[in-house]
Amino acid sequence: MAHDSRREDYLRMSLRFALSLDGGDPAEAAREFASFGRRLARDRDSLPQSDADRAFHLVSLATELVDYRLPFAGDALAETLVARGRSLLDEALSLDPGCHDAARMRFSLGTASPEERGRFLAERADAVRGACEAERDRLCETLDEARRPLGANVAMRPWWRWLADQAECALICGRNHEAVDAAERLLASDQHDLSDARFTLAYALAKLEDEPALERLSARYPALAAPRADDDAWILLARIALAHKAYRLADARRLVERLLASYPGCAAVLIRQMEIADGRFARIRVPAYGEDELIVAVSEGVVLLQEGMERTGKGVFGAWLARTVSELDPEAARAVAATTGEKDGGAEGAIGR
Amino acid sequence: MNAWDELVARCARRRNEKIGPLSDEAYAELVLAVRQNPVDFVDAAPEQALLLLARALDAYRASLGHDDLLDDEAFEAERSRRLAALRAECERAAAVDPGCLDARLTTLLASELDPDPLLDALLELERDGSLRELPEGDAWDDVLCRPRLRLRAAVARACLDGARFRMAASAAASVVDATLDDPLGARHTHMLACARLEDEAALGALEARWSGRESAWSHLARVLLLYKLGRLTAARRALRGYDQLVSGGAYALLRPVMVEPYLPDRPDVPACGFEEAMMAVREAEPIITDVPEFIAWCQGHDWLEASARAFAEKSDLDW
Repeated sequence: MAHDSRREDYLRMSLRFALSLDGGDPAEAAREFASFGRRLARDRDSLPQSDADRAFHLVSLATELVDYRLPFAGDALAETLVARGRSLLDEALSLDPGCHDAARMRFSLGTASPEERGRFLAERADAVRGACEAERDRLCETLDEARRPLGANVAMRPWWRWLADQAECALICGRNHEAVDAAERLLASDQHDLSDARFTLAYALAKLEDEPALERLSARYPALAAPRADDDAWILLARIALAHKAYRLADARRLVERLLASYPGCAAVLIRQMEIADGRFARIRVPAYGEDELIVAVSEGVVLLQEGMERTGKGVFGAWLARTVSELDPEAARAVAATTGEKDGGAEGAIGR
Repeated sequence: MNAWDELVARCARRRNEKIGPLSDEAYAELVLAVRQNPVDFVDAAPEQALLLLARALDAYRASLGHDDLLDDEAFEAERSRRLAALRAECERAAAVDPGCLDARLTTLLASELDPDPLLDALLELERDGSLRELPEGDAWDDVLCRPRLRLRAAVARACLDGARFRMAASAAASVVDATLDDPLGARHTHMLACARLEDEAALGALEARWSGRESAWSHLARVLLLYKLGRLTAARRALRGYDQLVSGGAYALLRPVMVEPYLPDRPDVPACGFEEAMMAVREAEPIITDVPEFIAWCQGHDWLEASARAFAEKSDLDW
């Protein structure tokens, strides 16, 4: 699933618009609504909106810049993108100091330290949850029954992203129980796992080498993630890591074959193990089972891949994975070897939309 | 490993089997005689191999500590030469007696393999059918069981280096459980694994069991555990404890140095001394690098920096 700031912007505006039409003539309302999409795209200011809606719109613009364009920008452009992203977020915060996404993203752009980010997120977590819940309750009072679930869902999303960020930060900082706790809190609140918190959870459980808990997470997939099965790159990499850690190398190799079957043609990604910046708004949105999804999963997986005292710097598990995939797909290994050094594993058109 | 002591014990035991059984008193005298001149009592392949190993380890240890004046390149060359010489002697010993587990273990450890190939080779060695079953009671008492225990302890350490923390914990626990008071210090490996796995109950149980025998490992494991659990006030207190109770601990943590591989087991050093601290920090390295801002957090405590600097000045070390 994943969070989509543009879609969310649309949802917020359409809910607001629908509220403004309530109580009027239904036929008139239907006609008005037919023009909503066009007006949102071309004449946004003619639509009813609060400062919070305006702020969120700026967040969605900033997201485009820092999450989707920045990873492909050269150094010069990167600075511009970050500066523009910052000023959009600052503006969002001046419109709506309660814009939690803007505050979170702004802080994350200002520091390279996941510890500091984690502290920032932890200090404000209760207040953010409280504010989102209050907004949800307020919206639910005003919305009719049909729109209530969506309204409630949209109201809670900033909190969900907050928790997802906390879980990811904790994982990076090597606080794996904390990552598990944050992910579980998120799953309790976001029951259909819009945030894909189960991915972070799978890695944290692998770090804790808690195989029974990882199996339980697999069993929860139908309830959480339908229609996605438990064959995404995260849960598979977590399982492979556990098999490798338990020195069940034949099992681990079989699981690698399964991963390659889930992501056909993507062996090179597992050999290169490129690191990319995490999305600031949320985990970036990429097509399921595509090369980009595997790139994101591998990049988040460096916490597993790069552990241990291994001389090449790939990490014990990372080196084993690259070796195993190279054996299973020698063609891909040759292709990687041919391009390595040339551009040092550039993103090659991967991850964009 | 004190190979000479074990050689004496084994020679006395073999002689006793041949001419005995001797009374306790006579046996004690036999041991004394062997100790005077162990070489005279070496008359079978296992002891011949152990004798070769004992001499090789002596030569290796004697050649350590002569490199202070060498530049990096010369040091590397000298070091490779030293390790290669040890490996060659160990291979000679293993040729005399293929059952000389310590020689084979030392060869592997002196090869400086990456954790995966090392573990693979160690497990292969363990699977070797000729390994002696561990007895009930304290397996350390049986000198013939010691090689096997050293091998297990090496497996545990290779697992820790290879980021296999649960496996490290269980291998270490099996060594600890086979002996009365863990002469190989496998509990240290176990404690570090517990810290990495954020298993507070397990670390607490180990601390309770070994209470009164704290070490650089136990103090460091506690700091790491609390830090990983996000309990920073408690972690700071534990860091303070580590600093105060482990001599040179702050320096070892903030200025980690290369520690030579254990050949075939950890050298005996005083508890909570500087050498122990260097070993503990080296063994904890995979865990420390997994908490990327841990060292920065440590450095943020002025008293720790001050303590490290004071230790450096006192000990004539670089700062």
